Amino acid sequence: MALRPVVVTGLGIICAAGRDPAEFWQRLTTGQGGLTPVEDEAFAVFTARHAGQVPDEWIAGQLPGSDAALDRTARLALVAARQAVGMAGLTASEVAAERFGIILGKCQATPDAAGRYQPMHRTQDVVAERLGLRGPRILVSTACAAGGNAVGLAKDKILTGEADAVLAGGVDPLLFGTYAGFAGLQALSTGPCRPYSHSDGLNLGEGAAFLLLEPLDLALARGAVPLAEVAGYGLSADAYHATAPDPTGRGGASAVRRALADAGLTPGDVQYVSGHGTGTPANDAMEAKVMRLVFGERAGQVPTSSIKSFVGHTLGAAGAVEAVASVLALRHATAPPTIGFDDDGRGRAGDLDFVPNVARPMPIGTVVSNNYAFGGNNVSLVLTTPGGPRPYEELPRREAVITGLGPVTGAGTGVAELTEAVLAGRHGAGRAPSLEGRTFAPRSLWRHMNHLSRLAIAASRLAWEDAGLKLPRKDLDDVALIFATGAGSAESTGGFDESIAANPNKPAVLSFSNVVLNATGGAVCQTLGLRGPTTTICNGGASASIALDCALELIRSGKAEVVLVVAADETPGTAALDTGDLPAPSPYDSGSGGAVRGSAAVAFVVESAEHCAARDGRPYAGVLGTGHASGDTGPHTDAEAGADADADAVARSIARASAAASESGASTASGSVAGLVVGAADGTAGDGVEAAAVLAGAPGARLTASTALTGDCQAASGALNIALAALAVRDGVAPALTGLAAPRAGDLAAYVTKPGLDGPVERALALTAAPGSVRGAVLLGAR
Amino acid sequence: MASVLASAHPQETVYGQVGDATVPLRFSSLDEEYKVLRERAAVLDLGGHGLIEITGPDAVAFAQRVLARDVEYLTSDRCMMTLLLDADGQVVDQVLAFGREDGILLESSCGAGARLLAHLRANNDEGVEITDRSGDLTVLGLEGPYAWGVVGRLIDAELASLPFESVVDTTWNGADVVFARTGFTGEYGYQMIVPVEHAADLWRQSLEHAQAAGQEALELAMLEVRQPIPRHEVTEGATVVEIGANWLVDVTKDEFVGREAVLAAFEAGGGRRTVGFSGGEGVPAPGTRVWVNGQDIGEVVHAVHSVGLGATLGLARVDHDLAAAGLELTVGGTEVTTLTSPYIVPKSWSIPII
Repeated sequence: MALRPVVVTGLGIICAAGRDPAEFWQRLTTGQGGLTPVEDEAFAVFTARHAGQVPDEWIAGQLPGSDAALDRTARLALVAARQAVGMAGLTASEVAAERFGIILGKCQATPDAAGRYQPMHRTQDVVAERLGLRGPRILVSTACAAGGNAVGLAKDKILTGEADAVLAGGVDPLLFGTYAGFAGLQALSTGPCRPYSHSDGLNLGEGAAFLLLEPLDLALARGAVPLAEVAGYGLSADAYHATAPDPTGRGGASAVRRALADAGLTPGDVQYVSGHGTGTPANDAMEAKVMRLVFGERAGQVPTSSIKSFVGHTLGAAGAVEAVASVLALRHATAPPTIGFDDDGRGRAGDLDFVPNVARPMPIGTVVSNNYAFGGNNVSLVLTTPGGPRPYEELPRREAVITGLGPVTGAGTGVAELTEAVLAGRHGAGRAPSLEGRTFAPRSLWRHMNHLSRLAIAASRLAWEDAGLKLPRKDLDDVALIFATGAGSAESTGGFDESIAANPNKPAVLSFSNVVLNATGGAVCQTLGLRGPTTTICNGGASASIALDCALELIRSGKAEVVLVVAADETPGTAALDTGDLPAPSPYDSGSGGAVRGSAAVAFVVESAEHCAARDGRPYAGVLGTGHASGDTGPHTDAEAGADADADAVARSIARASAAASESGASTASGSVAGLVVGAADGTAGDGVEAAAVLAGAPGARLTASTALTGDCQAASGALNIALAALAVRDGVAPALTGLAAPRAGDLAAYVTKPGLDGPVERALALTAAPGSVRGAVLLGAR
Repeated sequence: MASVLASAHPQETVYGQVGDATVPLRFSSLDEEYKVLRERAAVLDLGGHGLIEITGPDAVAFAQRVLARDVEYLTSDRCMMTLLLDADGQVVDQVLAFGREDGILLESSCGAGARLLAHLRANNDEGVEITDRSGDLTVLGLEGPYAWGVVGRLIDAELASLPFESVVDTTWNGADVVFARTGFTGEYGYQMIVPVEHAADLWRQSLEHAQAAGQEALELAMLEVRQPIPRHEVTEGATVVEIGANWLVDVTKDEFVGREAVLAAFEAGGGRRTVGFSGGEGVPAPGTRVWVNGQDIGEVVHAVHSVGLGATLGLARVDHDLAAAGLELTVGGTEVTTLTSPYIVPKSWSIPII
């Protein structure tokens, strides 16, 4: 029996080819593109000037005055998000805020209204706050595949039962730096782009698009009109190159095949393909191969078109923009055309049907929408005409275990070194991890890699070896990789920004290819040869536990047996200090001098318990349950209200993880949630809020935090908490808060203050935090 | 050692001895085979390349020590070209190293299988298993601007656009085939390592889509793009730097046999360098002196008549400061001009795989 059908009930879009779904579709079907020369004088330095720009009045005209001060990214996103909710007719009385989620795809780190970088997840928090969404919240940043990826992850959140409605979409504005980067890669077309025919480059664009996803049964019950079913989605990694697609089309084809398998369909069922069609020679040639690989002799009979020549390449929004177009194509039984198509046969890929220039009315029951990204990340969505209500099965529960750990931190590289540091009470906060004495990748790749990729690859390789996994090539094709990062490579972002500031026509192109947040994940896939599903999560310090959720969903749905989760973040300026007085962080201490920022990468291998048992693997711990809670993100009138919201989020995340453990049948003799809690405290005032919530929510547990060991390393600290919890469960090792004198909450006895535990704990709880946004809890138990 | 495909070759095939192997030099005429290789697609009998498998727990450590490039993470879907050196840094052979699930597979240069095997065995400190697979496996090549089309018709179109030095384990008519995107001549190039009992079938089937080319056409086309041909270019006492094969060596590796000698050659600078030349009358023999302004600056390493250039094409090893393009040199009493490589622009560079 099939899983619960998930449908789209609302659409929202704002892009160069329209300010709402009706205008967008009208222009797509009448061939009215939106690519125009950029007027901004700053762009005069570039030869290529065409882009897909959204007129300011389209945005302002759809927003209340109270949103006027927000940055452009947030405003674009809010326009599209409100449209989608409006079209779905979903009201607050029909879905609880707690069960209404948002999954946002975004490629670029976007500036706030004052022009400063803000956290990747900030746009999402703003939308969630304005729309009152307190359900699952994920920021996915698989570059140009992010929008499509978001739709797939949203479906997963409904299948796991965590949400009854999810806004899934993407947003990206047109940024000068990105423009300069693409110009530097010689990837821009000097005029409007001409996908699949001239293929002389792409145009950038901006915009936002959202799809509102609901389970079919609930949508019908409230009288909503299902527009399309999200029948399936597929992710894959090329494991080939940082920016160029695998020329064989293998990666793209594998995403389509996985999506069709997820949907229970075959290539023969597909009537129309919404292509990525950027208009670059590498992309267009690769896509033709994907069509031939997937559809074989039928390739020429499956129309495929690109709407990039209408809207430009909207990067993180592209997949969502094209998903909206695909839903409309289904609804209106019309394939939108590839405009700008030169039909004289020059350069076109022979027998394929690119729906040149004129929209084509045709029966469409199943659409495949494809996106391909830097980092070699591919996504395919399968959208179908909605079916009627039908019985369905719950997503099966499958036990997952953590079987390998790869810490690369200032306190130690590898489990043995880290354990030794923990037992010796030695910290390495503020110290850069050492990778001396070993290369973790072929030297030809290693020497070109930035620091963050090296850390992440070292962590991945160590976790892999620690798990004792020896898989043949064909099995690696299905090993998944989830990358978690708060901010990606500070080194590459900084280097690229500096080069643009110096001369926009001489961007540091190697750095540019590493500015996308998923670049490091792509480098890990390439180095380890992993071609399974892959994605990148950017929810600050909560990224790693959200990434673990994604891993568990892949295992539950049978899409992967082995998933490598790797989290990495860096702080510029951390140096490899051999000795010297490193500031000792003192989490939970009222006398703490504040947070110490650090750099680290931490990987762990998540495996289905079956797979681990079949190979006689030795797990550290089983994953009993996970829970996330979104705070009420403000703007709070006072700090106290903000603290209350955070405390509430901590409590709810713990309660959810604990409830998930009970639901999956895990029981404990002691009756307590966990014997040990590895918290997300970082040495700032917020620690007290977390500690108080933990002491109340997990009574009897002893509390510690990994930042005492390594400082605050954002996403990597979250992953380290999970790794340390696993280590405590199997080996009875936990870091001590040796400097703790006066806890901000509770008694000293509630904390681990001396190195080592009395023995392995039966259960350990790891917490993660993107304060003010998302709090995570992961409950691990002995195996 | 005769080619396992000898019975499948036409009667008029001209064979020659290259090292330990008897190989087809040409099947018809050099001109015709060269044209096929440069303009269409050629099938190559690479049976003269020895195949040696290294397995056992220390296989990678051993390979990492005896090979001059980094093969620590050479996965089973990659291959790379590299050198084996002796302790003095002298080239023992130039090989293609294939990552395998259980170790590494080395393909020797033409006719050098026995020497390679002996060298590996002599250096087997790790006690790895070294197996000569030349008796049960052989190599067929496809090379040319339309070789990718032959791959599509013969095996699978997906394999045609594999990235350079990618490897796929596939099957053909029920036989296991190690398929690799390689290339010796600047044209699209592929290799298929097949069990000998299936080789003749694959050869015949390939000939339905392409024409055979022999060792002479292959080596000419290799020279034209400055692909090293060790049997001509490795001379007594010449360092890796002098041969111009430094790109097949990775000195950032902590340790490999011959590393110290290579480092010394790098640091010493000076010495000779190898440079291409064309022009003049006749084809000078190896060892012919090279002069400039009445001064003996070196010698000819290898020279042939290039069908593509319609002129003599050769390599000279001369004083390092004169190893530059565009110089007039005197070779065997006639004037030649030094060149930058490639000396012929391969047609494949302007032909996309569709």
